[in-house]
Amino acid sequence: MVEYDSAKSSPAIIDEFVQLIRYRDLVFLMTGNILKNRYKRSMLGIFWMLLNPLLQTIVLTIAFGTMFKSSLSHYAIYLLSGLLVWNFITQTTQYAMGTMAYGGGLLKKIYVPRATYIVAAVGNGMVNFFISIFSLIIIIIFLDHPLGAAWFFIPISILILTIFTFGFSLLLSTASVFFTDTLDIYQVLIQALFFLTPIMYPLSILSPELSQFLAWNPFLILIEMFRTPIYANHLPDTSLIVNAVSLAFTTLLAGWIAFTSKADQLAYRL
Amino acid sequence: MNTTVIQLDNVTVRFRIPHEKIPTFQEYAIRWLKRRSISYTDFNALNNISFSIKQGETVGIIGANGAGKSTLLKVIARVIRPMQGRVFLKGRVAPLLELGAGFDYEMTGRENIFLNGAVLGFSRRDMANRLERIVEFAGIEEFMDAPIRTYSSGMVARLGFAIATDVQPDVLIIDEILSVGDTDFQKKSAARILHYHKNGSTILVVSHNPDSIRNLCSRAMWLAQGSIKMAGPVDVIMDQYSQDSMS
Repeated sequence: MVEYDSAKSSPAIIDEFVQLIRYRDLVFLMTGNILKNRYKRSMLGIFWMLLNPLLQTIVLTIAFGTMFKSSLSHYAIYLLSGLLVWNFITQTTQYAMGTMAYGGGLLKKIYVPRATYIVAAVGNGMVNFFISIFSLIIIIIFLDHPLGAAWFFIPISILILTIFTFGFSLLLSTASVFFTDTLDIYQVLIQALFFLTPIMYPLSILSPELSQFLAWNPFLILIEMFRTPIYANHLPDTSLIVNAVSLAFTTLLAGWIAFTSKADQLAYRL
Repeated sequence: MNTTVIQLDNVTVRFRIPHEKIPTFQEYAIRWLKRRSISYTDFNALNNISFSIKQGETVGIIGANGAGKSTLLKVIARVIRPMQGRVFLKGRVAPLLELGAGFDYEMTGRENIFLNGAVLGFSRRDMANRLERIVEFAGIEEFMDAPIRTYSSGMVARLGFAIATDVQPDVLIIDEILSVGDTDFQKKSAARILHYHKNGSTILVVSHNPDSIRNLCSRAMWLAQGSIKMAGPVDVIMDQYSQDSMS
């Protein structure tokens, strides 16, 4: 028989995980519903997800492609592979924060694992990411970009990216419940960070001092890890992989601890 | 039949109400610069509540608005964890606090049955087996595949009730919902609740209607300002309560 004891339950870090497993069907349904709701009403449906990055790439390639012609041969691929990672992380985190701050009403009405929303947001982000990868494939075929054995690393980098994004979403969502302007501040910050991250330009155009400083930019590490096998056809440096993996797991651990330790306060705060 | 299913020991729920605007980083920064701290009022929604309910009992909770009735039900339904004290519960709880919590109005009735079922903690396979029975009880056969934004509010409530009460729960928590749908459906839903009660479900009701408490409950608990003012046999408490509200 099910028992609930508010005083004796296992630590929140573990309990939330157990509950998520128990409510896994809810997580899947929610993820599916976000996608369904988003694309049901537009005629082009899923093609928007392809078209959006494609158009973005074409416009930016026309604008900046000639500028980096000598240093970046297939500029469109360099650009888009970075852009996909950037969009995945920033869109997922913003969505997660939005659902917690505005859609969290359910948490005040009935018990569901609090992390359900975050997991569903990340699931939704992953599906969008996979679909937008097709736009990259289209450009790769169009430019006749060579394929290589290093491509087998791509699933691993997606996994690392997802772990980071999940942890980051947990951290930001916790903050957004306590400070309602977190999302606004975050949007301003990432807009600035977009230009400080070598997505549209090669790292080599920056002064050595600045590029050394940018080595601490977590987005740069993750983008480089995803981009290198695709664009340069070789594996990322071992040190880069180690950095990315430790970054991802540290963020996840920090996010999970922050979120679960504050989870009981969510119903009071929302 | 004599096992305790619900037990509360010294449960306190405190809400913190800030005096100023909603909390933002901006506010904090301004306050910090001005060297002022943010002031709060602490408000005890529930104050040292202790009681226990045995299996099969029906308990009515009464009290004025803001006495803490809904908070008490939420603590028992696990929605909020008490700041102090202990809540102990045995068995599966069907909370009829918010019928159709998590309903997505753009989705069809069928999709929402699965969604709401998942919110209540049932698996997809479980819900697939119960689909027909739920639809029949709610009486929405023809509208199954229409988005529920096209439903009347009565239909939505009927569907919510049908999902939440489809299988017999060990504990049924009811917040003022004995008036779901039309007269026919009210009879049907009351019959279902009574049937579960006969089969051993424990029932907890909040209502402002003295008659429905008297009819359904054997015991009553009177809440005032977050504390138990009186508790005992339903007739005694209800007589006192109506006398008190007369004067």
